Amino acid sequence: MRNLILLDLILHRKFLLPFGGIYAVWVGFYASRVESPRLSVFVSTFLCCIIPLMIFTREDKFKAAAVSCSLPVTRKQVVLSRYVLGWAMMLVVYAVIVLIAAAFPGGKLKTGDILSLNSIFLALAFLTIFFSILMPLLVRYGMVGMFAFLIGLQVLGAVVLFLSARKILPFSVKGIIVSIGRALASLNAHLGAPGYYLFLVAVLLALSAASFALSLFLFKRKDL
Amino acid sequence: MMDNAIEVKGLRKNYKGFSLRNVSFVLPQGTIMGLVGPNGAGKTTIIKLILNLVRKSGGEIRVFGLDHLHNEAEIKSRIGFVHESPAYIEDATLNDLKAAIAPFYGKWNESLFRSLLAEFELPADKKFKKLSHGMKMKFQIALALSHDADLLIMDEPTSGLDPVFRRELLERLSALMQDERKSVLFSTHITSDLERTADYITFVHEGEIVLSKSRDEIKETWAVVKGPVEQLTGERRILLKGIRTTAFGFEGLTGDIPAARRAFGSAAVIDRASIEDIMIFMDRGNNHA
Repeated sequence: MRNLILLDLILHRKFLLPFGGIYAVWVGFYASRVESPRLSVFVSTFLCCIIPLMIFTREDKFKAAAVSCSLPVTRKQVVLSRYVLGWAMMLVVYAVIVLIAAAFPGGKLKTGDILSLNSIFLALAFLTIFFSILMPLLVRYGMVGMFAFLIGLQVLGAVVLFLSARKILPFSVKGIIVSIGRALASLNAHLGAPGYYLFLVAVLLALSAASFALSLFLFKRKDL
Repeated sequence: MMDNAIEVKGLRKNYKGFSLRNVSFVLPQGTIMGLVGPNGAGKTTIIKLILNLVRKSGGEIRVFGLDHLHNEAEIKSRIGFVHESPAYIEDATLNDLKAAIAPFYGKWNESLFRSLLAEFELPADKKFKKLSHGMKMKFQIALALSHDADLLIMDEPTSGLDPVFRRELLERLSALMQDERKSVLFSTHITSDLERTADYITFVHEGEIVLSKSRDEIKETWAVVKGPVEQLTGERRILLKGIRTTAFGFEGLTGDIPAARRAFGSAAVIDRASIEDIMIFMDRGNNHA
């Protein structure tokens, strides 16, 4: 697995260093301009998750997966290395984004807002959700599939918001989000802070494991 | 007893519009096998199946006596592979590619790799995308030869190469055979490459193995029969494959030379068939059967 991670770092470093650096600064600056800490975390984690995925789409672009898989590795090792590298990159890039957002002059967020335990857990949750959903899509359908999904999601969101505003939908999107928030708050009150965070970590780990299992299932069946 | 580098039994792969059916052959250790057949016959699919780059629909593949799925990494560490269409990260330099690939092989020989780069006139600091197809093939060959692989699997390795380098490569492959542990499986359209180097020849046509035998056995078994059209009677036709008739006469391939001699006598000329003859007549025979 170490060799696979090195392979990706060596072959993509010329893309990663300038692109990733500029991107992190830009997202950090953007995050510092947002007033809501939750919105700031949501947007910056989503943009942060794109960085490792861009690396993996480059392999898709050059159709280089056949070369990686003809090296002395199993497909399981290839997928596992992608998850490990993806998480390592997301954590590093997110840390850079947070530091820039906190340090940027004239920022609308307080340092405590984005470095609180709640914000950190929220960021981990968003990173897990985004990465866990996008990785199997990327593995199965490649770059085109992933972007088609993201665009489709935006279109769906716009349609739902439009229908919701006109009260055509039989449910309220805002109501669902508020209910989830209440459920989490209630869980926090019942379990207490340590138990609540442990529960969240367990859920996020389970989601990551399920995503990994799905990606592996798909990649093992993929003809290169 | 001779060990086998590759054993393939009853291999199947189903695609939409194409199927590889019941493919079986054996590559004995210390030998070179040429995989030959027309475009779309299934040669690349067979090679990709051996390397688990595509998923088999059925059958068994053993490499060095080991199951190719259960011992995938171990098997691949002993294989040098040359792709038909080399697809590396295009904006990486040859140095980058080497630095990324070499750590996977415990027996990587850096000085051999450097000498091969120099011999093949490949600039290490050049980006992969700047290389011609022939140079890309040479780079892949340099990588494949630099880790003391026990088995070289090469998909059309001579495509895009100039005749001089092609001859050098084939001589290099033959020289490798001095070490009896080494084996080579390569696919090609260029039948003269097979005449020059292959110990065994496997002919693939429309997803099936038409024949898989030693080169000497094939040469002793197959012949081209030529004669006037009026000599081509019904019972003589049965002995021939891929018959072609023109105003000047007929020609066909036989796999039973003694029977053809008895049947035609002095009425036809019987010449040993080249690999190319066998490929062309079999292709014609299967298409017009």
